[in-house]
Amino acid sequence: MITLPDNLKRPFADHLLAVADDKLMLGHRNSDWTGLAPILEEDIAFSSLAQDEMAHAQALYQLIAGLIGTSADALAFGRESEAFRCAAIVEAPDEFDWATAICRQFYCDHFDRLRLRRLARSSYKPLADLANRLAAEEQIHVEHVDSWIQRLGRGTDESRQRMQRSLDALAAIAPSLFEPIEHEHELVAADVYPRAEKDMFETWRNELEQIANDSSLKLDLHPPSPQAIGGRRGKHTEHLAPLLEEMCEVYRLEPNAAW
Amino acid sequence: MSAVNMMLRRMIDTQSIMNVLRTIDDPEMPISIVDLGLVDDVRIEPAGDTARVSIDILPTFVGCPALEMIADNITEKVGLLDGVSAVDVRFVYDPPWSVDRITDDGRASLKEHGVTVPESGSRLTVPGHSGGAVELRASAVKCPFCGSDATTLESSFGPTRCRMIYYCQSCRNTFERLKRV
Repeated sequence: MITLPDNLKRPFADHLLAVADDKLMLGHRNSDWTGLAPILEEDIAFSSLAQDEMAHAQALYQLIAGLIGTSADALAFGRESEAFRCAAIVEAPDEFDWATAICRQFYCDHFDRLRLRRLARSSYKPLADLANRLAAEEQIHVEHVDSWIQRLGRGTDESRQRMQRSLDALAAIAPSLFEPIEHEHELVAADVYPRAEKDMFETWRNELEQIANDSSLKLDLHPPSPQAIGGRRGKHTEHLAPLLEEMCEVYRLEPNAAW
Repeated sequence: MSAVNMMLRRMIDTQSIMNVLRTIDDPEMPISIVDLGLVDDVRIEPAGDTARVSIDILPTFVGCPALEMIADNITEKVGLLDGVSAVDVRFVYDPPWSVDRITDDGRASLKEHGVTVPESGSRLTVPGHSGGAVELRASAVKCPFCGSDATTLESSFGPTRCRMIYYCQSCRNTFERLKRV
């Protein structure tokens, strides 16, 4: 196993924070549906998705905490919004619109699986082992959301139109997942953050297109522009602050409390 | 070292620890943690007249809420063995846990309780999903109660993170199936 040079610890932590922060925010958004999903099975499904994503985030935060000397709780609940590295799409609220929730999940889960498979090739063994395990769990999320894309895309005129509208509305911010993180080059050179096997954006778009085309839906996705939002650099949409306020409310009352 | 201590030392072997582990059930399933395939390694390290025991456990799902209870149960019960001075439980992800690790006894016990397990070496996807085309109804998963193949996937998510829910059209029972990880 390789040991991580000191000068790479912070950039490596930033890269892993992007993964963990995406999962924490998406998990929090998923948990909104507990008790409110359109059918009982989805109530359970979205609660399970939330549980999965938060468990994934926690395991990653623990790994990061060991690298930079803090705790998983402090990382999840004790940071200001500029210190988060999540992408714009996981911050997007769904206003309890099922089509929006499913389309957000579609863009995010496919990306998450690709990213985890990539990380499973890291020469940093604790990350590779964990990512390998997480990718297997993420597989179930991908299959679940794909089945919803097909069900609603092939459903009625109304369901197809609403799905198309949500896919289009989120297409502008979905590529935020691909915004670059500083010092990726050094981490790739050191082999701790593995090189993507193929162009990740193209792979992602092809995967999504295959499902969408099979569901009478169209996709229009473009790589993120250099003027993109900047979630990976700590520049966030207006939706993150209220989300953090709600999620961290209890922790912030007494940050040193033992649970 | 007294003769009695020599005897105790000899008694602490992997087998006696595994026998204890076989009495510990998974908190969420009617099956021992050994049959479930959670135990990856048991190491015994002599410490004076006693021994320190390290046990590697493979979590089924990352951050499974039952893990802490499992670790506590192991520490308590293995710690009661004569000659054991300390028990250290570690969670490891290499090798990753898979349903293939569940023993035949474990599979039989789960089936009796209405939980089926994907066959060893079967495809690594949720039944009903084949690449781009999702067929929502096909499953070919046998009902644990009546053995019928006329079953459908009700939900990929169930009462715990590792289980899915199926419905049998022949005997009209719902049953559970472990996720294929």
